[in-house]
Amino acid sequence: MSRIVKVLSHGLEIRAEDGDRLSDRLQAAGIPISVYCSKRGLCGKCFVEVVGGSLPPAGKKEAAWIEQKNLGENFRLACQFDIAGDLEVNVPAAFTVQPVPVLPEIPRSVVAPDPAVRMYELELPRPEIASPASLFDLVAEGLGLEGLKIPGGLLKDLPAAVEKGRSRVTVAVHLDKEIIAVEPGSALDRNFGLAVDVGTTTLVMDLLDLDSGRTLDTEAALNGQVRLGADVISRITYAYGNPAKAAELRRLVLGTLNDMIGRLLDRKKIDRDSVHEVVISGNTAMSHLLLGVPVDTLATAPYHAVFSRAPVIPASEAGLVVNAHSPVYFSPNIKSFVGGDIASGLLASRLAANDGHFLLIDLGTNGELVLKAGSELITTSTAAGPAFEGMNISCGMPALPGAVFRARDNGSVDVWTVGGGEATGICGTGLIDIAAIALARGDIAPNGAVRTGDKKIRVTDTLSLSQDDVRQLQLACAAVKSGVRIMLGRNGLTASDLGGIYIAGAFGSYLNIPNSMSLGLLPSIDANKLVFIGNSSLAGTRLLLQSKGEREKVEALVRGIRYLSLASDPEFQDQFINALDFGPWT
Amino acid sequence: MSKEDMLARMAQAIIDGRKEDAQALALEAVAGGLDLLEVIEKGYVPGLQKVGELWEKGEYFLPELISSAECMKAAMSVLQPELKKAHLEAPVRGRVVIGTIEGDIHDIGKNLVASMMQAHGFDVQDLGADVKLERFIETAEETGADFICLSSLLTTTMLNQKKFMELLKSRNLAGRFKVLVGGAPVTQRWASEIGADGYAENAPAAVRLALELMGK
Repeated sequence: MSRIVKVLSHGLEIRAEDGDRLSDRLQAAGIPISVYCSKRGLCGKCFVEVVGGSLPPAGKKEAAWIEQKNLGENFRLACQFDIAGDLEVNVPAAFTVQPVPVLPEIPRSVVAPDPAVRMYELELPRPEIASPASLFDLVAEGLGLEGLKIPGGLLKDLPAAVEKGRSRVTVAVHLDKEIIAVEPGSALDRNFGLAVDVGTTTLVMDLLDLDSGRTLDTEAALNGQVRLGADVISRITYAYGNPAKAAELRRLVLGTLNDMIGRLLDRKKIDRDSVHEVVISGNTAMSHLLLGVPVDTLATAPYHAVFSRAPVIPASEAGLVVNAHSPVYFSPNIKSFVGGDIASGLLASRLAANDGHFLLIDLGTNGELVLKAGSELITTSTAAGPAFEGMNISCGMPALPGAVFRARDNGSVDVWTVGGGEATGICGTGLIDIAAIALARGDIAPNGAVRTGDKKIRVTDTLSLSQDDVRQLQLACAAVKSGVRIMLGRNGLTASDLGGIYIAGAFGSYLNIPNSMSLGLLPSIDANKLVFIGNSSLAGTRLLLQSKGEREKVEALVRGIRYLSLASDPEFQDQFINALDFGPWT
Repeated sequence: MSKEDMLARMAQAIIDGRKEDAQALALEAVAGGLDLLEVIEKGYVPGLQKVGELWEKGEYFLPELISSAECMKAAMSVLQPELKKAHLEAPVRGRVVIGTIEGDIHDIGKNLVASMMQAHGFDVQDLGADVKLERFIETAEETGADFICLSSLLTTTMLNQKKFMELLKSRNLAGRFKVLVGGAPVTQRWASEIGADGYAENAPAAVRLALELMGK
């Protein structure tokens, strides 16, 4: 039987059937209830308050948690609750997953709006019987654009729009060459676009008003592909030689993106058809997977990509649920392991416009480096492995709620967690802090050997680092350090020649500078020269959406950049081995 | 300095990674007319064994391994020519052909294994990175290798280890060489699945395994 669940805390009414699991209905409605244990009733993290409707007796575990967590008698686990009647519930914020933290960004790079898609309002003359012009010819004439094109599918909608608008229509035109949408009447105020950063872990999407260039809202979510592998190599491996699995990865990321689009547009009460352009930045593997292009060649030497500049394709072909004919532009990839995300970040950082020598570091599974040496741009990627993402660390986790992201030695070690709750793991920045503290205390020797009695580095009562965890961190730091050293050395520079280092990516501004320097992850330079630029990829993506001139810029940057291969550098091994010991740069 | 003192200092030079000392002690041994085979066996090799132990305990990491291998190399560069003059040979523990497999260019791990095996007295043919499957077999046949060691750092290139085992079989060479596999994504389970003779997680483990398989 059909039932109604009123979620008072969220102002929602949800339809449900008898026997539906409450947690499923809440999730389907977009309420991010916590289900860490995959709805097995084991974690006690999805309590809801039942304020109306029948209340089943609490299970044994539920009762224990209710007492322990000091909850009211009317709290129940949503994942153990079978709907059997109309309900009224509250979902406390404490039992929902905090939204994925959105990284801070560089002070917004400003650009005068000059979008690729523009809207024009037209009053069409009545066709004359003596010489009846076609509707499309009238539109083209009205726009004064020669050689104007229109997708076949859109022609079908043209007569209805003209009729409904009583000869007044608004058309959206891409690069003054192709009509991509027709709206009845006046719709000049409805020209929207999406700037999307497709990260291996996190997807972030900005909704922009294309005419003003203003960002209206932002949405972030975990990439749906995460459950098939944490880092980019594991995704490539999953898809390797298997088109069905590659297609599955494409479906998963599109699923997340389309959910995000839905939430964003619902919130802003904007029609899908009014989204007239999408710009996407992602690493090379992500853009390949998203376009359904095989990633097999990225998996084995010489690791080449299928494309660097993706064609502009309509949203329907890309699989994005917005206006079907809206163009989708991909930020160009630089090389196999330096993708469009770095190109966008480079654009947003305005690195190339600085005087002097600058370094941009994006830390993740692959550490991407861009060096501006004089007037030249050089890039490389260094295989840091997933330690910075908390992946091959025994108690590691991404920077999600519960992760220790910062620690300080106050006599005892104080820790801070994302979301402020109980510590359930440690993420990259927390790992760096804990290791630096242990190094300073002598609990870790400079060569990484753990010196404590039980061979463990305590983080909290329940969390600790093992010898192997410290080794993983050494490998990750050494990959970055040796990469930077070779990059500088090959261009006749040392760290002290740098005018600044920009740090982008997963660490946000939580990376502790002195700790990073004491481990040797970053060179010891004036701390004022270190600038956190957060999600510079998204910032660049937004620029690309705001102004078509920025696309020419990014394409010129990508054409002019030189790639340095660390793997084939004869010095790499020695530099890498030498970089394994912890300690400041000398 | 007594012989015992000298042997102990040789071991210590390897443990501490003091290359100049390891070499100077070798020169001293030659000048003093010591039994050079004994110098290797009871001086330097125990040092290497101790390095292996310290690695196991987590005390030592890759830089110390590399240093010890370099010390050994420096000492042997003095001892080898002298042995040759006396028509003697340092015992060869086994013959090894090693390389990073086709499709993969990551070679630091492989280089470490090669250095450590060499330091321990194996005769090592290092074919480098991105090595064609055929080439492993050709070289192994030419050199009469006991071992073929295959390294893969990517899950995708790991599949070539399996192809290699199939190639050996198709050439009726299965069992002729002992195949050892390693690399970040490789596991004992994988080694067993593809019918390799052994798996080692790291360089010291590879040495131990090879010595075991040689019955030494």
